Amino acid sequence: MEILLSAIVSGLLLGMVLAIVALGLTIIFGVMDMVNFAHGEYLMIGMYAGLLIAQVTGLDPLFSIPAAALFGFLLGLLCYYGLAKYLLRGPMVAQLLGTFGLMLFLRNLALLLMGSEDRAVNKGILVGKSFEIGMGVVLPATKLAAAFLSVAAFLAIWLLMNRSKIGRALTATALNAEGARYMGIRTERMNALAWGLGGATATIAGALLVNFWSVNPFAGLLFTMIAFTIVALGGFGSVPGAFLAGLVVGIITEFPGIWDFFTYTFHIKWMEQVPMTSFKYTLVYLVYFLIMVLRPRGLFGWKQ
Amino acid sequence: MEAIKNALDFSDFTRFDRTIAALVGLFLISFPLFSHSNFALATLIQFLMFSVYGMGWNTIGGYGGQVDLGKAQYVGIGAYTTAVLLIRWDIPFWFSMPLGMALAVGWSFILGYPLFRLKGHYFAIATIATSLVLKDIFEVWNFVGAARGLEISPIKYAPPDFFRLIFKEDVYYYYLILGFFFIGLFYMNWFRKSRLGFQLRSIKDNEEVARSLGIDVHWAKIKTYAVATAFVSAVGSFHACYIKNIEPEDTMSLDISVLIALMAMLGGAGSLWGPIIGAAILIPLKSYLKEWLGASAGLVGIDLIIYSAIIMAVAAFEPRGIWGIVEKVRLKRRKYP
Repeated sequence: MEILLSAIVSGLLLGMVLAIVALGLTIIFGVMDMVNFAHGEYLMIGMYAGLLIAQVTGLDPLFSIPAAALFGFLLGLLCYYGLAKYLLRGPMVAQLLGTFGLMLFLRNLALLLMGSEDRAVNKGILVGKSFEIGMGVVLPATKLAAAFLSVAAFLAIWLLMNRSKIGRALTATALNAEGARYMGIRTERMNALAWGLGGATATIAGALLVNFWSVNPFAGLLFTMIAFTIVALGGFGSVPGAFLAGLVVGIITEFPGIWDFFTYTFHIKWMEQVPMTSFKYTLVYLVYFLIMVLRPRGLFGWKQ
Repeated sequence: MEAIKNALDFSDFTRFDRTIAALVGLFLISFPLFSHSNFALATLIQFLMFSVYGMGWNTIGGYGGQVDLGKAQYVGIGAYTTAVLLIRWDIPFWFSMPLGMALAVGWSFILGYPLFRLKGHYFAIATIATSLVLKDIFEVWNFVGAARGLEISPIKYAPPDFFRLIFKEDVYYYYLILGFFFIGLFYMNWFRKSRLGFQLRSIKDNEEVARSLGIDVHWAKIKTYAVATAFVSAVGSFHACYIKNIEPEDTMSLDISVLIALMAMLGGAGSLWGPIIGAAILIPLKSYLKEWLGASAGLVGIDLIIYSAIIMAVAAFEPRGIWGIVEKVRLKRRKYP
């Protein structure tokens, strides 16, 4: 029972962070109908930013989040004005090619600057501390803080998008870019804002993750795929959908724990043979594929 | 006969183009006669391999407009079929290659049916997902060597062995893949003028209209996907015998899928010469940059930085690829309106 509970709890905690990874992707997709394959690379950059700020200043990586968010926002704007603006004029093939190029570029830039070895935060206020909440469930403080801050960031962006004037302009652009332009909304700026928000959310998630996840230049791909899965599950362009789907995918990534629970509780022989930990992320891809085939709009999708 | 005549007929290109193509063909045939380094020959083999991969991708991705980013799984199926059959049951290349193609095509039918109900971005990401799932399975599957991969040892099978395709000198491999390359080229020349080729182009232009003209859109896409798969899988089998050491990481990784797609898109998706031009630019660039800057100057990753910058520039300013630039220049020179 303990295995099951702690798997679900830690899945939920991770899911809250993953939700914010997917948020940026779904905003970009919703506003300008464009997929950004470099999204995981933003996250990887955010992880390095958190790590480096923590190492240079000696502060806990959690305090580097505002700086990482600002950096990510600027990076997103740079990518928009330097690349995405031109890609939008071309066909879909060009968008895929261009963002793939961006992905390779950022990944190898990180490889050149930082080297290929794994790095991790090994000191900080929260590193190594944990709370026990009963029933044998232990919560690492870093994960708890990451989940809490990511929900806070998620709420802030949700408020920005739904309660502010600029957010309404963003939503209007997402619903109908042409109509928004007639109403006097500068859709070009809204696109740039979407990219900025995309970059900022990804780097925030990176700075949150670096507390309990080692980072190397190749870390991005996994999160890109996870983010795509979440976005597909939640519906392309849907913000609340991204949050719920994030929780679901978080639990899926902890599925090996659940598998172990059933294996050892009921002593099922063949289940012991399956190396479920190696299939941790395979399941995520599989879920993506199944959802796309069965319900292409996503579970909470609103945009066709 | 008609099909062969069509395949060998390049008369709809200008004389200038045909001359250049013939010169390139002659150069490729006679290259091993010149003095050359092993590195140059290896680069040329890579170039030919990726041209054929690119041609395969071009059928579905270029003519059909369906951006497929999961081709590496078929490379893997081809390579693993050949390696497993050779190592376990000593079945030579010339039997395992068609078998690998059959397996890959079968798998592509199974995947193609649900995949082609998706459109655009959704299709592209779903192909990545399928490819990654297969790679993860191969990484834990002990029968195919799990993450360590398989090794075809040249000691057990003494070179030269024409049936099992084990040679010491790269020249044999070079001529074999050159043969594949020409077969692929002629097939593509036939394909673009075939019924399926025209159907695909109309699907790319407007799917609704294509459907209203009575084309079975879904089935046409699946068929073309199978053709693309056969190309990729055949070269995958060759790759296994040529490299002799295959791992999931370097035959089935996303990078290979992306590279295959990029070749064709950079050169010009949907044109006969596109994948060849793309491979001719990217492969030497990549391997020489890696050799000079990566290995000798110790700057790991700088080759891919330069190379991705080129990709981004092409995507942003000329999405039809290098062949698109050539056509644009020609149109300007002819002073068309």
